[in-house]
Amino acid sequence: MSNLPVSDARGTTPLPEKSRRKGVFARLLRNWSGLVGLVLVSGYVFVALFAGFLAPYPPNAQHAVDRLQPPSSTYLLGTDEFGRDILSRVIFGAQNSLKVALSSVAIATLLGGALGMGAGYLGGAADNVTMRVVDLLFAFPAILLALFISAVLGPGERNTIIAISIVYLPIFARVTRASVLNVKDSDYVDAARSMGARDSRIIRWHILPNALAPIIVQISLALSWAILTEASLSFLGLGVVPPAPSWGAMLSEGRVLMELAPWTVFMPGVAIVVAILGFNLLGDGLRDVLDPKL
Amino acid sequence: MIRQLRTLPVVAVLLVLFLSLALAGCAPVGAPVAQPDAAATTAAPAEPATPKAGGVLIAARAADAKGLDPHVQTAFSSFRALEQIYEPLLRLNADMNVIPNLAESWAWSEDGKTLALTLRDNVKFHDGTPMTSADVKFSFERILNEATGAASRSFFTAIESIDTPDDYTVVFNLAAPNAALLAAVTNPNSAILSKAWLEGGADPAVDTNGTGPFKLKSWEPDNLMVLEANPDYWQAGLPYLAGIELRTIPDETSILAALRAGEVDWAIINDPRVGVTAATADLTLMRSPALAYHVLQLNATRPQFQDERVRLAISCAIDRQQVLDTASLGEGEVTAPATPLNYRAPLDELTCYTKDVERAQQLLADAGVSDVKFTMIAAADEPPTALAEAQNIQAQLEEIGVTAEIETLELGVYVDRWLKGDFDAAIALNGGNPDPDNMFYRYWHSTGNLNKVAGYSSPAIDALLDDARSTVDVAKRKELYLEIQKQLTAAAPWIWLYVGNEYRPMQKDVMGYTPLNNGSTVYLRETWLNR
Amino acid sequence: MQRYILRRLLTLIPTLLGISIIVFLVMRLIPGDTISAMIGTQFKLTDAQAQALRAYFGLDKSLPEQYWGWLTAALQGNFGVSVRSGRSVLQEILSRFPLTFELALLATLIAVTVGIPIGLLSAARRGTLLDLGARSFALLGMALPSFLVGTLIIYFLSARLHILPNAGNYVSLWDDPLKNLTQMFFPALTLGLAFSASVMRTTRSAMLEQLNSDYLRTARAKGLPERMIVRRHALRNALIPIITIVGFEAGYLFGGAVIVEDVFALPGVGRLLLNAISQRDYALVQGTVIFIAFIFVLVNLLADIAYTFANPRIRYE
Repeated sequence: MSNLPVSDARGTTPLPEKSRRKGVFARLLRNWSGLVGLVLVSGYVFVALFAGFLAPYPPNAQHAVDRLQPPSSTYLLGTDEFGRDILSRVIFGAQNSLKVALSSVAIATLLGGALGMGAGYLGGAADNVTMRVVDLLFAFPAILLALFISAVLGPGERNTIIAISIVYLPIFARVTRASVLNVKDSDYVDAARSMGARDSRIIRWHILPNALAPIIVQISLALSWAILTEASLSFLGLGVVPPAPSWGAMLSEGRVLMELAPWTVFMPGVAIVVAILGFNLLGDGLRDVLDPKL
Repeated sequence: MIRQLRTLPVVAVLLVLFLSLALAGCAPVGAPVAQPDAAATTAAPAEPATPKAGGVLIAARAADAKGLDPHVQTAFSSFRALEQIYEPLLRLNADMNVIPNLAESWAWSEDGKTLALTLRDNVKFHDGTPMTSADVKFSFERILNEATGAASRSFFTAIESIDTPDDYTVVFNLAAPNAALLAAVTNPNSAILSKAWLEGGADPAVDTNGTGPFKLKSWEPDNLMVLEANPDYWQAGLPYLAGIELRTIPDETSILAALRAGEVDWAIINDPRVGVTAATADLTLMRSPALAYHVLQLNATRPQFQDERVRLAISCAIDRQQVLDTASLGEGEVTAPATPLNYRAPLDELTCYTKDVERAQQLLADAGVSDVKFTMIAAADEPPTALAEAQNIQAQLEEIGVTAEIETLELGVYVDRWLKGDFDAAIALNGGNPDPDNMFYRYWHSTGNLNKVAGYSSPAIDALLDDARSTVDVAKRKELYLEIQKQLTAAAPWIWLYVGNEYRPMQKDVMGYTPLNNGSTVYLRETWLNR
Repeated sequence: MQRYILRRLLTLIPTLLGISIIVFLVMRLIPGDTISAMIGTQFKLTDAQAQALRAYFGLDKSLPEQYWGWLTAALQGNFGVSVRSGRSVLQEILSRFPLTFELALLATLIAVTVGIPIGLLSAARRGTLLDLGARSFALLGMALPSFLVGTLIIYFLSARLHILPNAGNYVSLWDDPLKNLTQMFFPALTLGLAFSASVMRTTRSAMLEQLNSDYLRTARAKGLPERMIVRRHALRNALIPIITIVGFEAGYLFGGAVIVEDVFALPGVGRLLLNAISQRDYALVQGTVIFIAFIFVLVNLLADIAYTFANPRIRYE
């Protein structure tokens, strides 16, 4: 379940940028599973961004009189034991999970990417040491590391973000480093250098675009994993603090009510699966389109 | 082209799966859930005449004992295990009356200041040594010794001295008459330990040596505690069982599953949300109102709660029935501070038992505070509804602008902080007792050993407690305790919520078990398996 | 060959050291007074045990000194004492490990027996409804979190069918093999589901790669029957990458076991870790994390060595 797909970029010969971008999008649209993934992810992001407008009730508002209602016209997905609208909680749960996932993956990408790029470009001792440390982080099964860091830091959104970032950092470091190594010694970089181009320019115009493809694929897969991990941690009692809505926590709380009110478990469950599936499909699609050799 | 043809149906299949999953979630459960009935229990089948000896009872509960020292442990899960191994001098029967146990009779002196107990002469500790009055004296002195940290110390502070005129007679000399003493003696925290054993260097935190019907054979914490029958138990013929396996299954729905599948014979269910689903045709469910009460404890020594008006505002803002309905599915009833029915104050005579948001807001305004913030600690297992209670209270308090945060702790960690009074507020399930002195004295008297946990005292209440303790006249005691309850709810150091139910589901062939309102499972000694 | 294996095994040492350093540093993020506070009134340790625990954590010494002290103790097998039970951490872990190992093993078996055949069929019947079904199964399997699957299984089996899906009273394999296997089946199924999806995908793509390769085209052109091609050439060659992936991914099961053990209430190493975390039993947390990471690294190493064996091209480097 905690399968971290590692993509070693083998890279493609860089085309002039504009035509490459146009080709990518067109190809994505023709790739059906990627398209479905895109639709699901867009739906998820839309719901998360506009949660305030879409949710019929505030997520924590308790209507004790209406508790444990099955889905009805007033409460489309039913209510939990406090009379809170499950639909609203699922919607705001999307917001929470997106917040955590985006933040942690962003941090992992930026920090990990910087590390990997630096290590790859500089080479030598810096490369060696950095990659040793990165490899050590790989020595932990991902969920274990996330659980451990969360346990030490304590529950809460901020700590969950930190935990997930740390776990995903090594992957981005490796991916960017591989891309850098791929391109570093190629002819046109040599040519650029011999023309007097500065390192930063080389990185920006040659190395970065090349690394972009595998990074983007990795981001999508990382987001999927981040959503799953946030849900798992919340399920185990770490993660967000109640009463904030989190799909994992909703599932955990609903377990004891399964026989009386199964919708309290099914609804957040479906939401989790849809979100993860969406990012998985999107990642697969992107991989097929951007980096067919993978 | 081919690719498109392939992936589109994939997606269609997925959508179908999701819809079916979602629809399954909407359908109410096929098996009918027995609606909670006032005092309904699925009746135990008519008992055949003769109990059969032998067999091991597989028992399950969600929380394991937290330790083995009967004088120190306060968690209910610990009591349930320890009361099989250790015994007090007296005990409560199913009607909550005091009956003989290790002591076969007792007599009060005329002035009520001397209590003489006659011990049985055939009681042996598990190590084979006989129990004598020296052990009783030693045990009570250990309880009274502050260094022990005994949970029941305050019950016995009236004891000035203990005499042991002969091996089987113990005399308690009291400073003043104490009407609650007998009930206090029945508490598992007042168990009798062996003087020779302790003086020989044994540590009751890790070893056991009691007089009870069962001996501790092995203990893997949070997993399995194996008890075996005590062949030398003083009650002839008991226990019927050859042993008990106390399994810790942390999830009560798993316990229920195990019961249904016949893997477990008898269980303690604390969560009413699981308890109500246990009432099925193939299990016996004993459901009885509890004496233990759910309460929101406020720590009046903390800055935000020092002003009585703030505490009272919180009390007025909480609809207790709503907490009961959301957290415990309405299984139980709202209660006054004293839970035994004959001492329970009528709710309309207490302050703020009806939700009054305006009054609450007025009180806050009078106190001059506008945003009260605090953190409530809640244990994960005791009660299992703690987190739900906390969430409902949190939502209700938002109405008057009070912000409550919730901190969930594991039970052992929670109890440590609870005992130290290290919290702003705590959601708790505290034990009840047929005698209100045992419920109140150690918390509310300024000298009580749990006063730190209560966080409040007043000279007026001190006087009332002392008076009520030494008054023997029942009618007068009732009046005194009524007054105490009124004062407590007016000062609102705690918000008393409700009493719930105790659930004891078991296989149909488990016979002879009688549940007690204080949750005690001592009647396992009379339980037998009809197999 | 033996030298190669030895060399690979030796790499375990720096890895383990590194793991222990990371765990040690992360643990130090916990405020110091919390550690002394954990020796509380409810979990009463004997004085000797409390002393040993304080010495074990050595909070008054400097960080490198603390680590050195910890390391020397660990090399002697002393990982501290569990606050909860008073037993040594190592003892606690080792007594629970067989269950987790069995769970992971069963999950792998399930994943392989389900994933490989479906993957083969899927590759052989590419483009048909069977292929679609298999691929959607794989997609779903990777998207369903184990705690959701476990919860649903328990619900359907227990509430609707009154069958016990999990270990109400866990019996070990040696005591009662049949009972143990029935108890472990559903947890292993839950743990192995995502794994089987991954195995299926790998099998399918490995087989497809084989079936489309040049040498098979030659064999077909030569007129060899398809069945023989599949069985003798494609399958055998595809198995290498398949088994490699299985070996490398099996290690992750030890992480996933934490959640499954929680859902099914199994007394394994995973639940030991969760209990230790909630009880602030820090010595136990530390020891358990290092142990699970060690097993993970070991499994990966073994998979690596096995792959080297299987792939003759690499063997002689």
